[in-house]
Amino acid sequence: MKIRVNRTVVEIFDGAKSQHAVLRYLAHRRLPKSLLTSGRIYDAYGHEIGLDAPLREGQTIKFKK
Amino acid sequence: MKKLLLTLAAACLLASAAFAEKKEVHILSANDMHAKIENFPQLAAIADSLRALYPSLLIISAGDNRTGEPLNDLYEIPAYPMVVLMNMVGFDATTMGNHEFDSGARGLGELMHMSTFSYICANLMPAPELGVLPRPTQIFDVDGVRVGFIGAVQINERQTPDTHPDNVVGLSFTPVLETIEKYSSIREECDAVVLLTHIGYDDDVALSAEVPWADLIIGGHSHTQLAGGEMHNGVLITQNTNRLQRVTHITLTVEDGRVIDKKAENIEVETYPKKNKVVAEMVRYFSDNPEFQRVLATLTAPMTSYEQLGCMMTDAWRVETGSDIAFTNTGGVRYDQLPAGPFTVSDVLRLDPFGNDTIQLELTGQELKDMLIATTYNDTYGFPKVSGIICNVIFDKKHPEKIKELKITNPDGSKFDLKKTYKVVTNSYTASIADSPRKDQGRALNRTTASIIQEYLEHQGTIDYTGVERTFQSVSKK
Repeated sequence: MKIRVNRTVVEIFDGAKSQHAVLRYLAHRRLPKSLLTSGRIYDAYGHEIGLDAPLREGQTIKFKK
Repeated sequence: MKKLLLTLAAACLLASAAFAEKKEVHILSANDMHAKIENFPQLAAIADSLRALYPSLLIISAGDNRTGEPLNDLYEIPAYPMVVLMNMVGFDATTMGNHEFDSGARGLGELMHMSTFSYICANLMPAPELGVLPRPTQIFDVDGVRVGFIGAVQINERQTPDTHPDNVVGLSFTPVLETIEKYSSIREECDAVVLLTHIGYDDDVALSAEVPWADLIIGGHSHTQLAGGEMHNGVLITQNTNRLQRVTHITLTVEDGRVIDKKAENIEVETYPKKNKVVAEMVRYFSDNPEFQRVLATLTAPMTSYEQLGCMMTDAWRVETGSDIAFTNTGGVRYDQLPAGPFTVSDVLRLDPFGNDTIQLELTGQELKDMLIATTYNDTYGFPKVSGIICNVIFDKKHPEKIKELKITNPDGSKFDLKKTYKVVTNSYTASIADSPRKDQGRALNRTTASIIQEYLEHQGTIDYTGVERTFQSVSKK
């Protein structure tokens, strides 16, 4: 499924959680994976959703370091 | 006559005053607790404090009470600790989350039987497999105020909640909106109507537009941290992030048979200064789980390298999922020594402690090769551990972090077909960090990789990985 993380669309397995999309985003951007635990993840409306939020096709999330 | 009229007028005033009396309904709500049993002493203290102020407090969960904590999930009866702790805190009701089905219908039925709180879920059809039936709706009488609840669980394109398909065999579900609308007559019977949903924030907002007759949606599933609650289409929506970091205290003010005010505030659980000592003692009891010392298999010779333990892990995933090939990032193998003797549940959880999900993909040989290389570049621990193939990796002498050549062969030494399609299994971390081109991104099997290793060891009985080696690494001469 396709998930938009910040301005990047990543493709990730079905059943992925927010942390998986961010990990793919970090790998794609060649950023350290350790940023995952120090950053925060938000939905498209700006609500914090944490690392284990289930995702659906086409969803937008924001990762802030 | 004048005296009689005055008496009647006074009686009417009194009656109207009584009729217009405002009453408050207090609800403490949690969602997506995911078996964070360590926070239950604080949750119980919060419930105690609120109950002292509001004796008719309702305590409600919006589902996903279980799954995510081995102390709970690996108990002899999976998720039994959560049921006991929810009973102790005094939960009145929960809806089903998709993870409530993780032990299958029979497992869920057992837990329902042990619960002193009710399960409200209108879109789960009655099924003999459950033994105990969930209620579609429930009406609570809170000091004379009738509060009606309708429950609903998320369903995906297969028309089942997100769990392993085997877990919902024999169960059937109906679409959320049309099911809730079917029970809209509850509005006429109640002073306040609450939708107890496990469908995610986006769908809760969409639902509020379709059911303006509801007063409140207590939501779950998307782990969305709302600041107290949000008003959408006149319906108050609440939800917190997962693992009992926060709960919500909701106050509904009811007058003349309808809700005239509603508000919600978050309460921090993890940092709450008080703990209920009885609940803390029960959590301590569950934390000393003898299940962790259960012997799964016997090691006839010691394991002495990451390679051996990685080979065993990936063998487990390949064999138990019926795949052709399995691999893991080397950082996912957490120790390199295990003496001969018993291989326990605790040993497995130390070896694979991250709660990773199992991901199955259909890959061509070339796509697998690209994925193995991408995993190496994105994991600081080097080339992956594999099962079902043999890998010869040659790193570049000038750029030792770069792979100059990767030769893959079949276990019998024959040529590996790069064009053939293979069923491949890995963990969710590896599937995420391996940013390489492939047609199939795979799908989660909704089973932790650690639970699959446990199964494999139990099926094997005895294991010996002496001399097993499948990845051979060298540096180029030029």
